[in-house]
Amino acid sequence: MKYFVEINGRPHEVELTERLGVLSVKVDGEPLDLAYSEVDGLGQFFVLSEGRSYAVSIDGEASELGVTIAGALYDVHIEDERERAAGAAERAAAKQGGLVKSVMPGVVVEICVEVGQEVEAGQPLLILEAMKMQNELVAPHGGRIQSIHAQAGQAVAMGAKLIQIASLEAPE
Amino acid sequence: MFQRILIANRGEIALRVIRTAREMGIECVTVFSEADAHSLHTRMGHVAVPLGGRLPSESYLVADKILKAAKETGAQAIHPGYGFLSENAAFARAVVDAGLAWIGPPPHAIEVMGDKIESRRAMLAAGVPLVPGLTDPVADADAAVAAAKGIGYPIMIKAAAGGGGKGIRIVRDPGEMKSAFRTASGEAQSAFGDGRLYLERYLDEPRHIEVQVMFDQHGGAVHYGERECSIQRRHQKLLEESPGPIVDAELRAQMGEVALRAGRAVGYQGAGTVEFLYSKGEFFFLEMNTRLQVEHPITEMVTGVDLVRDQLEVAAGRPLARTQDEITWRGHAIEVRINAEDVNAGFLPATGTIRNLRLPGGPWVRVDSCMYRGLEVGLNYDPMLAKIIVWGEDRATAIERMRRALEELNVGGVRTSAPAALAVLAEPAFRAGEYTTHFLEALDLKGRVGAQERLVAAISAVHRRAMASRRALGADAGDRRGWQARSRAALSDHVRLATNPGGQA
Repeated sequence: MKYFVEINGRPHEVELTERLGVLSVKVDGEPLDLAYSEVDGLGQFFVLSEGRSYAVSIDGEASELGVTIAGALYDVHIEDERERAAGAAERAAAKQGGLVKSVMPGVVVEICVEVGQEVEAGQPLLILEAMKMQNELVAPHGGRIQSIHAQAGQAVAMGAKLIQIASLEAPE
Repeated sequence: MFQRILIANRGEIALRVIRTAREMGIECVTVFSEADAHSLHTRMGHVAVPLGGRLPSESYLVADKILKAAKETGAQAIHPGYGFLSENAAFARAVVDAGLAWIGPPPHAIEVMGDKIESRRAMLAAGVPLVPGLTDPVADADAAVAAAKGIGYPIMIKAAAGGGGKGIRIVRDPGEMKSAFRTASGEAQSAFGDGRLYLERYLDEPRHIEVQVMFDQHGGAVHYGERECSIQRRHQKLLEESPGPIVDAELRAQMGEVALRAGRAVGYQGAGTVEFLYSKGEFFFLEMNTRLQVEHPITEMVTGVDLVRDQLEVAAGRPLARTQDEITWRGHAIEVRINAEDVNAGFLPATGTIRNLRLPGGPWVRVDSCMYRGLEVGLNYDPMLAKIIVWGEDRATAIERMRRALEELNVGGVRTSAPAALAVLAEPAFRAGEYTTHFLEALDLKGRVGAQERLVAAISAVHRRAMASRRALGADAGDRRGWQARSRAALSDHVRLATNPGGQA
């Protein structure tokens, strides 16, 4: 079984082969000796690898993991072969269009633009307040405001759709 | 001495006060919001009083509720901690008017030091050095552009009623003034109910160095030396150390003397911190924090003095326990704040439920924490979850000890600022003690290459496979059980609050 692992943005390929109940691991084509056991069912693991021991913590579910070893946090995105194929199609689709999403959970304080308004890259679109700090969200690129998915006073989750910007060159 | 005090705060600082009070045989009344019904501070006091409400504005910021709790429980004094009502002069006055002791400075001192403009005037009169800037607030962005010419860029816009980094913007050229002015004013208005802003020059190679002072009610005053707090981001501190790497005995005495002069000018009593901006051999008064600071433990570690005990004794009318000559400094202490922040995502606020918690220990490691397994970290309160404090016989030892402690720490379920602190400790400039307040913002924390990347890749794949096979075997209940347990907890939470608001005594 092959896994495609992205760590802090850098890609790695891991191949797991089970033979007679023994799991062998290859990372980027190189074999790696690894024994893994779960400690408490809460996210702590004990790992032995190449003669060294590691107290490892793993957070997250499915394809997004946070792995901590000795205080260093590794952001992991992991896909198997089937997910990788599906993911590639999704990524291609997402490249088009300028959708501004909330970069953090917070409350919309003010929306500075209107539907139909032309904006330049860097122009403030809305002000988001989180932890009592106000943050300006700016246009990632120029265009025309196509739709606004939030209103002042609304609490939004991280990744929530806020504003859709249409490219000016693209036909409407 | 008091028999019973009320702590008008939550989180690690409430616990900090409880600990010293317990050691002194003083009983603690704690107050808690609905969100804090299970918090450590709620459970660890002697009497817990519910304030109701989930938001600070419905609970910890409601003076009447807190005064009522103090009256009903027979508390003789109120310790405000930091944040919330700690620097609210009207509240301090209400406490005193209610016949209770206020464990903090006189209301007038809070008022003067809490207003950036008034405090500048008072410091100017007392001969305390100030950063070039305006003593009056500016009306609007255009007036700010005009005034900026006389001060020189870069300019810092600050909220008149500010604190905690809110309502502050740096403007490097006139074109940025308008947008910076608007967001700062909005932030100040929402955080403090006062949108007034003033301008001052932003200093080069600045270091944030502050001095801990303590005044009694009989004219006695001492300083406990400095803390270097330059490792900060958007004016939120991450790591502090004492002594300051560039402060020698002469500079310490000089800064201490100025800090005491600043306090005397406003008739100070109790614990306070005078913040200075140090730049190329000069230091300027920044502000005085009229409360106990988050980073007070590093001063405690190098002086051997319990500052909360000092606070309680002074508030009870006792003279200071020691003279300036009796205060000595030994070794080096470092504090790291464990904030709920995602360092890899540019320090965005992180939320979640703490599932998997491993705290550091060992010699000379102190943990002031409000974390427990099951703690839900939301957006309603300050993101600081804990402070790790270490002591070492010298700076190098303290740095290695802190690195070791942070490597031991694990907070599962919520992202924290710990990886950023580890990155700071590894930087040669930090290790050499050569850094400014810009250090952390300039540090590239994203996409760092970890030493164990291949191992992590392998572990992730094996973990993924183990989880998948567990699901396939039907022992998957892990997830669903967790979900059910959570909903049950939420339900029982509700019932408990409705029928037994007294909590446990």
